[in-house]
Amino acid sequence: MKKGYLGIDIGSISTKGIIIGKEDQILAKAYLWTKGNPIEAVTNLLRELQKQIAGKDIVVVAVGTTGSARKLIGTILEASVIKNEITAHAVGTMSKYPDVKTILEIGGQDSKIILLEDGIVTDYAMNTLCAAGTGSFLSSQAKRLDVPVEQFGKIALTSKNPTKIAARCTVFAESDLVHKAQMGYKKEDIIAGLCNSVAQNYLNNVGKGKKIKSPIIFQGGVSKNVGVVKAFETILKEDIIVDEIGHLMGALGVAILARNTGQERMFDFKVTDHSFETRGVECNRCPNHCEIICIRDDKKLIDAYGNRCERGAIKQ
Amino acid sequence: MNDRIKIGIPKALLFYKYGNLWINFFENLGFDIIISPDTNLETLEKGKLKLDDEACLSLKIFMGHVEYLIDKCDYILIPRIACLNKHEKLCTNFSALYDLTKNLFQDLPILHYNVDVDHHDSELFAFLDMGKELGFSYFDSMSAYRDALHYQKQQQTLKLKKQMEKLRSDNLKILMVAHPYNLHDELIGKQIQTLLEKEGVSVIYSDCYDESNLEEEAKVISPKSYWTYNQELLGAIVHYKKRVDGIILLTTFPCGPDSLTNEMCLHKIKDKPIINLIIDELNSENGLTTRIESFIDIIKEKKKRRNPVGK
Repeated sequence: MKKGYLGIDIGSISTKGIIIGKEDQILAKAYLWTKGNPIEAVTNLLRELQKQIAGKDIVVVAVGTTGSARKLIGTILEASVIKNEITAHAVGTMSKYPDVKTILEIGGQDSKIILLEDGIVTDYAMNTLCAAGTGSFLSSQAKRLDVPVEQFGKIALTSKNPTKIAARCTVFAESDLVHKAQMGYKKEDIIAGLCNSVAQNYLNNVGKGKKIKSPIIFQGGVSKNVGVVKAFETILKEDIIVDEIGHLMGALGVAILARNTGQERMFDFKVTDHSFETRGVECNRCPNHCEIICIRDDKKLIDAYGNRCERGAIKQ
Repeated sequence: MNDRIKIGIPKALLFYKYGNLWINFFENLGFDIIISPDTNLETLEKGKLKLDDEACLSLKIFMGHVEYLIDKCDYILIPRIACLNKHEKLCTNFSALYDLTKNLFQDLPILHYNVDVDHHDSELFAFLDMGKELGFSYFDSMSAYRDALHYQKQQQTLKLKKQMEKLRSDNLKILMVAHPYNLHDELIGKQIQTLLEKEGVSVIYSDCYDESNLEEEAKVISPKSYWTYNQELLGAIVHYKKRVDGIILLTTFPCGPDSLTNEMCLHKIKDKPIINLIIDELNSENGLTTRIESFIDIIKEKKKRRNPVGK
């Protein structure tokens, strides 16, 4: 019997899962869209992972969750570690690149930068509410240009003369883009310009005032766009490493953290057969009107959270 | 039946600085005092309706508190404090507060006093004038003010003692740097304090320290700070920096003075983990939790590195 450790990263756009062994070797991995329903996404993810380890005599003994739905999923799966994305990504990346100094990450809704020194995180920054320069910005511009976003990078590389596009704000970028197109710029030049502006925008906002030292690793969905990778290389004048499993680093990190807790308990994949139900209730006991989330497992309440004070505590 | 005159005090902005002084002063003169309850979402909603979008969150909260006090008291205390030391200023919100409130609310029974040291209006004279308006002689007001000052000092000493105890504990210690009205507000600072304490962190307040060396200490970060209250924050950072594990700069959107001084702190302080949290009225708790948790992770890892287990 081999022991496996499960890490799940539930993001706004995609859900990632990984099972690792004692020496960080990957035993199973899966990646699918969250589609606004984290519980269903995780159920499908677990089925997929279970299929991959079937017949290999692997027993999952610890679970960790990260990403924006970490608390919800962590509760349902009785995870031993529920960790924020920043720590999870740092731990995961360091397991493959022990001397990494900078992690750039651009996802669907948010972007962050993590700085490390001697194997520990020393500083980080995240974007504010504004989603300019993230994956969703690129896909909406791709739609406007009628080009599949997956081909953006390739097309960008063919450009010899990238157009300058203002990318501080999505709304301005869009009107600038229309303007440049009407002036007669080539499509590939505009696309290359967009990739440059994403990199520039990221460095001006998230990377503002941070010392970016190599080795630099670029992660998140946008890292699959070679145009943006090239733009970063040109601006920073450094090599940018894009890992093949860069999208799984958060899941990998939290799987390692779960293993390091030392607590072991058999994880039962039968949990996918349960029907979990969540319900939001508004507490009316004071003017704060907290929204409390109740999680039920086949009608039995297993957890409730979201209340600011005791008045909103829901008894089991 | 109680027919004593009631004075209402909004529990926002300068209440967190002068609350003890005000309460004691009016009690000494024999008034009843009504303080609006802790900020909640309803307070903010009410304040938002009163003000422009551009006003800062703390000011919106203040107006919500004023609204609560209407019809519950005979006077509502709204001071105008423009300048406390020569050649320094407070945020314009404080010098505009009296006029702003007066124009936002019709026929509000405002009780006010005016401190503007650059124009020779000191706090003592302001309180004497206020006493006179309420029908008290200079002598009565003077002794009430002296007693109140003494009481305020006593309370501050007690607070300082508690803070020193926290500093001596073995917990992780984080200095929370914010204007008192943000630091102690139920919706802003308290929310973050709860998150920190859940992680086993002791919170050290920036509004509680021995200020006898304030000017010298603030100069370490900036030779001259134009805003009195921000200078106090800089002083607190220098005063406590060596004794805490990390620093959180907390500000409300869109605070002018903070946006300058906090940015300066981020650039100048390199020997302590430091983050800047900006709170706005959207109140997204998720983003806040992620930022605070990762910040604490950084501090814990650093500490572990410095003192390996067993040493």
